[in-house]
Amino acid sequence: MDKTILELHELLKNKKISSQELVAESLKKSHEIQEKYNAFVTILDDAKGTDKIDHLLSGIPFGIKDNYSMKNVLSTGSSNTLKDYVPFYTATALQKLLDVGAIPVNKTVLDEFGMGGTGTTGHTGIVKNPWDPTRMTAGSSAGSACAVASGVYPYALGSDTGDSIRKPAAYCGIVGYKPTYGMISRYGLFPFASSLDHCGVLTRSVCDAAIVVDAMKGIDEHDMTSWDSKDIHLYENITKSVEGKKLCYIKELCNIEMYDNPTEELQNHLKNFKEKIELCKSLGMKVDEVSIDPKLLNALPSVYVAISCAEATSNMSNLTGIIFGPRGEGDKYEEIMMDHRTKGFSPLIKRRFVIGSYILQKENQERYFKNAQRVRRLLVDAWKELYRTYDAVILPVGTGVAKHLDGSKDILTKDTAALEEHLQIGNFGGFPSITIPDGFIDGLPVALNITGNCFEDEKVLQIAYALESKMDYKNQIAKEVK
Amino acid sequence: MTKFSKELVDDLAKKLLIGLSSEENQMVLDEFAIIDENLSKVDDFENIKDVSPMTHALDDFVFSLREDKASDSVPIEDLLKNCDQIEGREVEVPKVVGGEN
Repeated sequence: MDKTILELHELLKNKKISSQELVAESLKKSHEIQEKYNAFVTILDDAKGTDKIDHLLSGIPFGIKDNYSMKNVLSTGSSNTLKDYVPFYTATALQKLLDVGAIPVNKTVLDEFGMGGTGTTGHTGIVKNPWDPTRMTAGSSAGSACAVASGVYPYALGSDTGDSIRKPAAYCGIVGYKPTYGMISRYGLFPFASSLDHCGVLTRSVCDAAIVVDAMKGIDEHDMTSWDSKDIHLYENITKSVEGKKLCYIKELCNIEMYDNPTEELQNHLKNFKEKIELCKSLGMKVDEVSIDPKLLNALPSVYVAISCAEATSNMSNLTGIIFGPRGEGDKYEEIMMDHRTKGFSPLIKRRFVIGSYILQKENQERYFKNAQRVRRLLVDAWKELYRTYDAVILPVGTGVAKHLDGSKDILTKDTAALEEHLQIGNFGGFPSITIPDGFIDGLPVALNITGNCFEDEKVLQIAYALESKMDYKNQIAKEVK
Repeated sequence: MTKFSKELVDDLAKKLLIGLSSEENQMVLDEFAIIDENLSKVDDFENIKDVSPMTHALDDFVFSLREDKASDSVPIEDLLKNCDQIEGREVEVPKVVGGEN
C-alpha cells in the first residue's frame, strides 16, 4: 500500500498480487492507524476485492471522507447530529469510483461538517498527525490526510471549502488537489458553504491525483453547477513540458521582510520556498515577484468566515433531529430541535451558525455579507488579472509545519496572517489548486501550492508534476519524528 | 444596526434553536469582534459599493434547463430508516397546530 496507483495496477495486471490481498493489507493497516491516530469513523471490514482490472483504479483500496454519502454505509459528517445516519443513495463522485472497481475500505474523520481546520472537532475525537502525534493534521480532511500519509492506501477523497484538502495535505507531507469548481459533482457531498465547496483528492503523488480526478469528474444532472469536462485529460497530459510557463509569487506573502519578528520556522519555510522558485526557473519556467494590495489580503480571513458562516447557517437548517438524526427530548417541536442541536453540535460550529445568522439578518447584510462578497470579487479579479500574464500563482502553504495540538483553537484571531489563509482564494474563484510537499523543517513536512485559472487544471498539474519530479518528496510515507 | 452583545448572541441562538453556554457565548463575541473590525475596514476600499457582490465561484456559468424525465422515487420505507420515531409510513411529531395536546 506504499506504492503508486500505476505500480499497484501493474502488480494486479501481472497477477503478482490480488485485489483481495490489497484490501486485506489496507484493512489491517486501517486498524493499526486507527489505534495510533484515530483517523476513521468507520472501517469497512467486509470490503472485498475484485477481479476487475480494466481501469487504473480497479481493485485498489481507497478512503472516503465521511461527508460523502454512501448508500447503506454509516455517513456522519463527523457530527453527533448524524451519528447514526445511513444514506439511501451514493454521492456521484464516489459512485464513479465504485463503477470502475475501486474498493472503499474506510470512512475518514473530518472536522464536524468540514467546518474547521484542525482535525480536532470530529465527534469521534482528535486525529493525530502521523509525523508527530503531538501535532494536528489540520482539516477538515484530517483522517484522509492521515491515512494516505500513513500508507493505508494510495488515495482518499476529500472536500475543500477554504483549504480543507490542501492544508492537511501540507501538514502530512502529501499531495492535495481540488480541481476547478464544478468539475467534480457535489451531489451527495454534505454541503457546508455551497458557493465554496469543492470535491477533490489526497494522494502521495501528482500523477495519482490526476488519475483519481479523471475518474471522479464529469457533468452530473444532479448538480447544476457541474460542467462538461470531457476534453480535459489530466493524466494523459501530465508529462507535457512546462518550459516557457510563467509563474508568479506574491511579495507581501513570501518575503520575510514583510513580517515583524518572524519566527525561525517562518524564515526557514520562506527560504525553502524561494529555493523551489529557483528550481522552477531551472525547469525553464519564468517566475516573477508581483504585489497585491495588503489591505485586500488582510481582509481575506474575515471575508471567508463571513461568507462561509452565512452559507453554512442556511445549509444546516435541515438538521432538526426529526426526519433523520437522533431525536431530541422535549414535548414541543422547538424543544426537540433545541435539545438535538445543543447536544449534537460542537462549540465551533454553534458559534459559526450564530455569526452566520447575524450576518444574514436584513439590517446587517449590506455591512457584512454583501461587503464580504464584494471583497471576494476584488480578490478574484486581482487573481484573474494575474492569470492574464501568468499560467499560475505559486505560494508557500501556511506559516510552516503542522501546529501543536495543545495550541489548537480554530478561532479567528487578530494575528491570523494572510499567509495562513490565502488558499481560500482558490475557493472564492473556483480556481484549480494543488499542494505538494516541498521540504522539511525539523523533520516535519512543509509544502507549496500552485493555483491556476479556472478550467486550466491540466496546466496546473503539469507544473506541479514537473516540480515534484525535481524534488525528493514524491510518494513519501510518514515517519514519526517523535 | 443592532449591537452585537451577549444578549443578542443568546437571542440569535434561541432563534436558531441552539443552546449556548456562557463560555460559548463569549467565544462568539470574541470571534465576531475580529470579523467586525476587519470588515469595517472594507468601507475604506475605493468605490466598494460599486463592486457587484460575488455570489458564486464561477459567475460566468451558463445554466441550462434539463429535460423533464419521469423516474422512480425513493421508497418511503427507505427514507424512514433514519427517523427515530415513525408510525406506519409517517414521521411521528408532537402536535404543532390546534392548541394544547
